Amino acid sequence: MKIDDMSFEESIARLEEIIKELEKEDISLRESMEKFEMGIKLSSHCLKKLNEAETKIEELTRSEDGKLVTKELEISEDA
Amino acid sequence: MLDENNIKPKIYTVSELNFELRQKLETGFPDIWLEGEVSNFYFHNQKHMYFDLKDENSKIRSVLFQQNNRNMSFRIEEGLHVLARGYLSVYEKRGEYQFIVQDIRPVGVGSLIMAFQQLKEKLEKLGYFEPGHKKKIPLLPEKIGLATSIGGAVLRDIISVLRRRFAGFNLIIKHVNVQGPGSSHDICQAIRDLSEFGVDVVIIARGGGSLEDLWAFNTEEVATGIYNCRTPVISAVGHQTDYTIADFVADCRAATPSVAAEIVIINREETAKSLIKINARMKELLEGKIRQSGKKLLYLIDRKVFKKPATILDRYRIVADDIGFRVIQIYGRVVERKKHKLAKILPLIDRKVISGRIISGKMRIKNMNIRVLSNISHIAGKKKNKIEILLQRLDNNNPAAILNRGFTVIYEDSRDKVISSVKHMKPDQVIRIIARDGSARARILDRIIKMKGRAIR
Repeated sequence: MKIDDMSFEESIARLEEIIKELEKEDISLRESMEKFEMGIKLSSHCLKKLNEAETKIEELTRSEDGKLVTKELEISEDA
Repeated sequence: MLDENNIKPKIYTVSELNFELRQKLETGFPDIWLEGEVSNFYFHNQKHMYFDLKDENSKIRSVLFQQNNRNMSFRIEEGLHVLARGYLSVYEKRGEYQFIVQDIRPVGVGSLIMAFQQLKEKLEKLGYFEPGHKKKIPLLPEKIGLATSIGGAVLRDIISVLRRRFAGFNLIIKHVNVQGPGSSHDICQAIRDLSEFGVDVVIIARGGGSLEDLWAFNTEEVATGIYNCRTPVISAVGHQTDYTIADFVADCRAATPSVAAEIVIINREETAKSLIKINARMKELLEGKIRQSGKKLLYLIDRKVFKKPATILDRYRIVADDIGFRVIQIYGRVVERKKHKLAKILPLIDRKVISGRIISGKMRIKNMNIRVLSNISHIAGKKKNKIEILLQRLDNNNPAAILNRGFTVIYEDSRDKVISSVKHMKPDQVIRIIARDGSARARILDRIIKMKGRAIR
């Protein structure tokens, strides 16, 4: 799976695997380098995800035909 | 006396009388409220409930039929003070009049607490509070679901906490009445809708209030709704000190609605922190590996080939010198022969031309020497480049590594000699098998030698 398509949870799970693999005694230097490189890519992918969300506040209702729909909700910040 | 007015008296049968009494009672008291204390409670076959309602001086037989006692939020017990609604009727078979209860509830806060305790015990037995059933709150909820009352202070509190602590979030709110009739049902529906819509976490929230105010979150219906929800649920009801059944069933309890917002946001910050930790750990591990490989490399470099390449080169130099010497010898002989010839033809040829040719021959010999030497140092250089491959091979050929991969090695029993060919195994011979975790002795039964596809015994 391409890193860009991975969900946050999947990326974190893969990162944990990489740590476990890197901790293995018998891993070769070349493999270590490859895992490390992959790990760095994954963690920056995660950091990007952490920072990219934009604020959206919506209300969930059911339309007449019973479908779940959302509409933007204006919430004043005072009070 | 009976015939005083010559009117025949109406003579009832017992059945008739009880029937008429029943009609009169049922029409006379079709819908009444009755308050009293429960005694002589009897749950017949786990269907209908029979009990007396009494006060200090009097009592009345009461019955709560199955269809009316199925969805009760509390358990009827001896001595419980209740308010019941129903009508009066007669059980004709016995001529007993009784109060048919259609709705019943405990009276006073004490009773609410009791109902709360009873439901808590029941759900605990059902395993609703099991830590094993609790779902993990996602690390990064892309969509945060919130079931609360739109326009309440709770919603504003949650949004302002979210805004203060994080740059961006997607909050999806489902409006519910958090109090009053039907609110339990509303809350359950909201949980279902948000989960169905695909939020990553559901927060159910309302502000503080009395036990009655919070009652919608203390029903078995809401408990079941939370328990069955596939999306993790955070319960954020009331103040710090308020505990509701929803709090116990939810995957996470937030002391207040603001805390619920913090739980969702703190997870994000923690995640950023743990990412940095993960990076540091990966770096540490890689550096460890590099150090370890470096040691191996140093060990190899320490060996003669790399430490004193000059001695190796010297050896080659001797060979090269030898070659050079022989080249000179051969050339010398050639030169001798040429000289011989030369002597014969010398008088006929110009001396200068000859000495020029001799000089160029010497030059060629010198060049050859240089080429041989540079070839040797080139080979030594190449060897250095192959260290990584060597390291790899070392790993692969380590006997322990081979055994760890599941292979075994067979030795002769008497001597420490590896048997690698069937030809060296004779029937009845005793062999030693070395495996990853020990050794065993065995006897050869028979053997098959493979030769170009044919088998020979």
